Amino acid sequence: MKSYDVVVIGGGPAGLASALAAERHGAETLIIERENALGGILKQCIHDGFGLVRFKEKLSGPEYAERFTEELEGKKIDVKLLSFVTEIRKNGKFYLSVVSREGIEEIEAKAVVLATGCRERTAKQVSIHGTRPAGVFTAGTAQRYVNIEGFMPTKRCVILGSGDIGLIMARRITLEGGVVLGVYEAKSTPSGLTRNIHQCLYDYDIPLHLSSTVTRVFGEGRLEGVEVAKVDEKMRPLPGTEERIDCDALILSVGLIPENELAEKLSVSSDPRSKGATCDGQMMTDVGGVFTCGNATHVNDLVDYVSESGEIAGKNAALYDGKNAKYAFVRPDDNLLYVVPQRLNLSADNSETVIYFRSKEVRGKSVVTVKADGKTVLQKKYPFLRPPEMERIKADFSSFPLKENSVVEITVEEG
Amino acid sequence: MNLVKLNKKLNILYGGKVKAREEDGKRILEGELSDWSEIVAACTLASERYSTTHVVNDIKLTGTEIPRTRLPHVTDKTLEGRKPDVLIIGGGISGASIARELTRWNIDVLLVEKESDLACHASGRNDGEVHPGIDLGKGSLKQRYVIRGNAMYDRVCKELDVPFKRNGQYVGFTKGFLKPLVYLYALHRKSIGVKDTVILSKKELFRREPNLNPNFKFALFNPSAGCVSPYNLTIAYAENAVKNGAQVSLLTAVTGMDVEDGKILAVHTNRGTIYPKVVVNAAGCFAEEVAAMAKDRFYSVHPRRGTNSILDKKAGFLVKGIAGIKGAKGTKNTKGGGILNTVHENLLVGPDAIETFERENFATEKESIEKVFAKQKQTAPTLSERDIITYFTGVRSPTFEEDFVIERGRKTRNLVHCAGIQSPGLTTAPAVAEDVAKLCVDILSEKGAVAVNDRFDPIRKGIPHLAAMPMKEREEYIRKNPDYGVIVCRCEEVSKGEILDALKSPICVPTVDGIKRRVRPGMGRCQGGFCQPLVTKIIAEFLRKELSEVRKNEENSVIVYSETKGRKGE
Repeated sequence: MKSYDVVVIGGGPAGLASALAAERHGAETLIIERENALGGILKQCIHDGFGLVRFKEKLSGPEYAERFTEELEGKKIDVKLLSFVTEIRKNGKFYLSVVSREGIEEIEAKAVVLATGCRERTAKQVSIHGTRPAGVFTAGTAQRYVNIEGFMPTKRCVILGSGDIGLIMARRITLEGGVVLGVYEAKSTPSGLTRNIHQCLYDYDIPLHLSSTVTRVFGEGRLEGVEVAKVDEKMRPLPGTEERIDCDALILSVGLIPENELAEKLSVSSDPRSKGATCDGQMMTDVGGVFTCGNATHVNDLVDYVSESGEIAGKNAALYDGKNAKYAFVRPDDNLLYVVPQRLNLSADNSETVIYFRSKEVRGKSVVTVKADGKTVLQKKYPFLRPPEMERIKADFSSFPLKENSVVEITVEEG
Repeated sequence: MNLVKLNKKLNILYGGKVKAREEDGKRILEGELSDWSEIVAACTLASERYSTTHVVNDIKLTGTEIPRTRLPHVTDKTLEGRKPDVLIIGGGISGASIARELTRWNIDVLLVEKESDLACHASGRNDGEVHPGIDLGKGSLKQRYVIRGNAMYDRVCKELDVPFKRNGQYVGFTKGFLKPLVYLYALHRKSIGVKDTVILSKKELFRREPNLNPNFKFALFNPSAGCVSPYNLTIAYAENAVKNGAQVSLLTAVTGMDVEDGKILAVHTNRGTIYPKVVVNAAGCFAEEVAAMAKDRFYSVHPRRGTNSILDKKAGFLVKGIAGIKGAKGTKNTKGGGILNTVHENLLVGPDAIETFERENFATEKESIEKVFAKQKQTAPTLSERDIITYFTGVRSPTFEEDFVIERGRKTRNLVHCAGIQSPGLTTAPAVAEDVAKLCVDILSEKGAVAVNDRFDPIRKGIPHLAAMPMKEREEYIRKNPDYGVIVCRCEEVSKGEILDALKSPICVPTVDGIKRRVRPGMGRCQGGFCQPLVTKIIAEFLRKELSEVRKNEENSVIVYSETKGRKGE
């Protein structure tokens, strides 16, 4: 049985950063990737805008991934491609069963990093009814057909959801000669980044219909049309506002869900708000030695932060000493959609704790306050807060005597 | 109800717009109505449950056009001049199982199916329950076949290598005072063959199924109930038939027949004219249409829609068997649906029952799902719509007598009907198939002895399911064929090797849905988001075609159109 200090599951941006960080901290590291190349979803993201925070450059997805894969050269990091983890269990150390063309390999690890990314919400999960023709795609699937396979999944389509991938695909389809009849968003505000609304829709005269949704698809073999309708504040379709639009595809960008099937196999607890595994400031889950990062922890909008959380996870996985941890708990108020991390490990260095959060609603001037047992650790002012834009702050808890079960409150107020 | 009384009633109800008459042992209703539910009500009023005197519906539906039967686009002459001993019309569970049973004889069997795959209609769109027969009274064909069919499942599924589990059916009761009545009911059922019934105390029920409605006071339990993947069983039956010499022709629709002196001489299809000795009508919702073509229409089919939801395997712990509730509203004509833990360990919730004149409208409706969930939350209160990963609608094909029609043609001699099939038609299929095959052989025997097929092999080897194998076995499979080690569908853990096996299977259906039905890529929680492009590509490579030539299912279901500018080199 092969043995590693750190096994990273997933070779996308989170996994790559994590493996490199683990190696830097002296760990013998393995990356297990189910596809035939590293890079994860970046491989199909041929648009630019990646790396602005990290590299101060506008890179394409593949270029961003390359920065990391190039760094892998000559490092003591093993990579297993076309390999799939079917079982993972903890018995002191971790034991993984990995299926590949070579058979089933048992691998031992002192720590594991779950960098499994996320998946897309489907049409059925947003209650779209009607027939079941070809031509209903999630935006990521449509993106793969266009950018990897080189085939157009549509000539005239409607996009439901204003998530970033949907917006990017609206532009991509238009550039490829397809027609995007409109982007429909059930919420009253867009879900994607503001820059994408401008650069992908407005610059190409693609209409954005807010408070509107797709309720039904038509067509037997191939999709022939969709029914759209206005919705009320609770996002329920308003009777009488239905309208049929003839098109050949419905492309969905209605949300991403962290993949946490492996985490569940390890009995890692998840956060219903972030939908990913819960973790501490070192990205360790509540199962010792299991680390989480990237979109498997919570869905990020910038890859730069995916890499950052990967690095935190990788470094701490390398340093993992097997000691039992005691925790203080992070409590976001109801104005926040979620906060990561959900705990602080009392025996860890919490002087540079990175906190990621999203506001639940669109807000104007706001003040975010971090308090430890009632004492203010940090306050930060924001001109606005929006759910599509993830925020990040760094807090120093070193001068606050956190005890077991101490409460770190994070609140948002007008200001 | 006698004819005079019936006509009086019809006159009162429909103001003279509907009349009934009797002819050749059938009751024909004629007239015009503008509401389908009124037509169903009128015909139901005229019918007698389980009677072999059938109602034939000739009431014209006005104001709405009943959609025409969808036909395949392909036309060729591949079947022109074929002279099979038996022609089976319909590739559902009935047709496929009959085909297999017929191959026990040394005869030429041809099955035609108008869709691009087997089990595309009711047989692929039901809950897959293998019923215990507890809800069926004496006197129907359904009841006669359900016990026999149920008992055959272990053997049939073993022979055909199809997963089957007897996980038992629980029907919960919230009213404790009903217990003595239910006891008597179970006793009566025992006397007509349902011998496995147990009445479970509340304590025992919750020990077995802790997540059911806490208000259940007791439950009827039938350990013989089970489930199977209905389309997998249909495909397996058809594959075994093919292995034993039968021919299956997909995308083949019967468009007409030449009938003379009570005998079918020729059957016209989009792929040529066939001259069969015997015809089996296993056409499901189209059985009445086929009977009419054969000049032997003595029953009517009134389609009834049902919608089921499939839940994430994560919710599978909620119910381990099959559970339902007695006494909830809306249970007419069906057991009333339930919650079923499938052979793949998903939960299936449903179905409902809605009368329709559209035989091929498989669209789902939000209200159906909502109603089914509202009801089944009375079975298991923590059931949640949030766990839904997909839903689908099927259309049942009952007669107004709500029983099967399994008999030789009444006017046409070389015809056997296997019609009016609805729940528990999947359970009864193995038994019905034996009897229908016998009826066919009887007809053929009139012209000379029919020999037994000594080379008949009842065993069909399915596609290996790697994810379910013990490590060692899986390892051996991968060593022999490394493609078994390449996971294509991560949710269901389906390998490239299994997909290629499906493409090389005896009835190759090289479409995304064809592969999905056989080995499950795309059946998981991401619904093909990750694997659909990969599966499409594997199919294209296998067929040596472009991605744009691969279909989801039927001929028009294009997945991708032209190449992008980059690929074209622009």
